[in-house]
Amino acid sequence: MKYVCSICGYVYDDSAEGIPFSELSDSWVCPLCGAAKSLFSPPKTTAGSITPARTDPTEAAPARTTAAHSTEEMHRLTAGELSALCSNLARGCEKQYKNEEAGLFREIAAYFAAVTPDEPDGDLTHLLSLFENDLTTGYPAVQSAAQTAGDRGTQRVCVWGQKVTVILNSLVQRYQREGSAFLRNTQIWVCSVCGFAYVGNTPPELCPVCKVPAWKFDKIEGRNSA
Amino acid sequence: MKTRIAVRNLRLCTKDCLCLYVCPTGATDTEDSIIDISKCTGCGDCADACPGGAISMVPLEYPPQQKKEDSVLTESYRMIKNKATQEKTAAQIAASTDDDALYRLMTAVARSVRLVNEDLLRESGYMLPQSGNTHALLHEWAENPPADDFPVEAARKLLELIPDNDA
Repeated sequence: MKYVCSICGYVYDDSAEGIPFSELSDSWVCPLCGAAKSLFSPPKTTAGSITPARTDPTEAAPARTTAAHSTEEMHRLTAGELSALCSNLARGCEKQYKNEEAGLFREIAAYFAAVTPDEPDGDLTHLLSLFENDLTTGYPAVQSAAQTAGDRGTQRVCVWGQKVTVILNSLVQRYQREGSAFLRNTQIWVCSVCGFAYVGNTPPELCPVCKVPAWKFDKIEGRNSA
Repeated sequence: MKTRIAVRNLRLCTKDCLCLYVCPTGATDTEDSIIDISKCTGCGDCADACPGGAISMVPLEYPPQQKKEDSVLTESYRMIKNKATQEKTAAQIAASTDDDALYRLMTAVARSVRLVNEDLLRESGYMLPQSGNTHALLHEWAENPPADDFPVEAARKLLELIPDNDA
């Protein structure tokens, strides 16, 4: 029996390993990307195995009242959204080697971050429910709209964002279940390109989601070391 | 008139220094290894000669941004709102905890979600700083600053520095 990691594609082959997959402990994680055991599943046997997981068409986007409000909605973005919009444009300027412009966009991004109001439900349980919501309805809806429109850029955003959300969801669930022990005496790394998060002493050689090299990962400093 | 300039990626530079030999103006020969764009003529000889592929030619003007379908934007902006809420929630938990492990985990979540949201926004009409969408926002902020402490000079300066490709 074989089991495939839904994040990085690592294959655990029972016939090549000492311990059958089913007997591995629940705290076992993917040796390549650190994904939880629960994120492994048997390989897809159908020819269309390129289709990303979770795009079950029966589950796809419920019909929604469409576009009418979309343009208007875009012009009424919240401070938190505008902060991300401006830090994205700052990165866009950096890629074009426009450092002065990047700095100005960062200044506006910092302003919007500072005026973003607190969330009323600021706890882990609420955070997990938001992740769950993205995974069950948000991403399938974006994915299906992007597929229909033939928008491959947005489909790529879905592939990466969904995997990153699965990993974050899994790490926060683990924290809720086990407490902080699994994070002691080790580091948390975030891929500066796609946001993939990894727990370990050193970052993975290649990002399992977007495939950039290890030096693109940032170590998350603790409060005292910062 | 030059349409592009040479830039060197220091991560890839293996100091073979062929760029120094071929540059007709000496633009690649600098004390900080950053190519002097005031001297660069955009000829591309350095990029062609570089054995490490460390020099690329960056255009001075960019094409108009690709258009996005409203049906995709509607769903993407829903997600963008969720991601902003997740980022703020994680940042709040990080700010209020005494547990260093939870602080690091929530800082990682906030950073990760921000990157995912930047990616969504990039694919939702804000890929190029030179886009009409970006300009519309900057104009709005320059003319009607959202608050008294908004850095309005930054918005005005950006309007001066960045052309609008969709105008």
